[in-house]
Amino acid sequence: MDQKDFKTRLRIAKKDILKRTSDENDSKRGLFMGSAFRLGTELVAAVVVGTIIGFILDNWFGTKPWFIIAFFFLGVIAGMLNVIRVAKNMQEKK
Amino acid sequence: MAANPMHQFQVYRLGPEIKLGNIDLSFTNASLFMLISALTICLFLFFGSKQKNIIPGRLQLIAEMFYNFISKMISDTAGSKAKPYFPFIFTLFMFVLLCNMIGMLPYSFTVTSHIIVTLVMALFIFIAVTVIGFLKHGFKYLSIFVPKGVPVVLLPLITIIEIISYLSRPVSLSVRLFANMMAGHTMLKVFGSFVISLGLLGGWLPLTFSVALTGLEILVAFLQAYVFAILTCIYLNDALNLHH
Repeated sequence: MDQKDFKTRLRIAKKDILKRTSDENDSKRGLFMGSAFRLGTELVAAVVVGTIIGFILDNWFGTKPWFIIAFFFLGVIAGMLNVIRVAKNMQEKK
Repeated sequence: MAANPMHQFQVYRLGPEIKLGNIDLSFTNASLFMLISALTICLFLFFGSKQKNIIPGRLQLIAEMFYNFISKMISDTAGSKAKPYFPFIFTLFMFVLLCNMIGMLPYSFTVTSHIIVTLVMALFIFIAVTVIGFLKHGFKYLSIFVPKGVPVVLLPLITIIEIISYLSRPVSLSVRLFANMMAGHTMLKVFGSFVISLGLLGGWLPLTFSVALTGLEILVAFLQAYVFAILTCIYLNDALNLHH
């Protein structure tokens, strides 16, 4: 087998591998899109849940508006924590 | 006629009124489309798995593709311990997917654009996962609220934050699906009414948008079903493999 023949075969094989990895990237893009959809609601949901818990506690103890304020901020922190976790998860998968 | 874009989400009764005490159990258009989705899945999987050819036909190929897709997703995200929950997650995925996709057909009704439907599914998942966690680990399951390596001073605060984060799961799970479906369908209707009101001269631009949006909505319909299923897997993973 001469060298020229080998070189063309190598080029074809390389192209094949490149194509295969780009196919894999396409399927991963869908995965990331799923994670991206998660991020927004994850932040909002925790804030809403925190505020609702604060509202309920305020009604129980009659301490309006202190629990609502405290739990609103705790909810914000929880939401950010959730977002950071999802983002970390995305980076690990990369 | 300016059609109300929210009119498509109206639930109305079909047939006679059925009441059980104070609960209205009448058959509505929402129940009808849930039934259609469920029947479509059953028929599709029945005919898809009827002929067990080595070289699969079209229907068998699609059915096997779905099976492999979910099976791979579960083993990737939740490990081998989650295998017994495959039927549940597969059913959930197919149901949400079919509800979303049938909602894309003209004149149909999108069941998943109602928060009560998605919230019930999310709450069921939430309660089931919590029960599974307690059954598998006993009271040690509560340790997911106490992350490792946190200073003692911060521990009460972090625990409260973790509990809020845990309780926000069903909310985010249900609101995501409901909001995406409702927003998409409202937008389609709004652009559709633009086409009518702008008429033959200016209607072409919103028509182009409508076509593009329909493509996007089909993507969203699939993606939301996928996200719903994969999040169930992730929550199951937290309950089965306790490690953070």
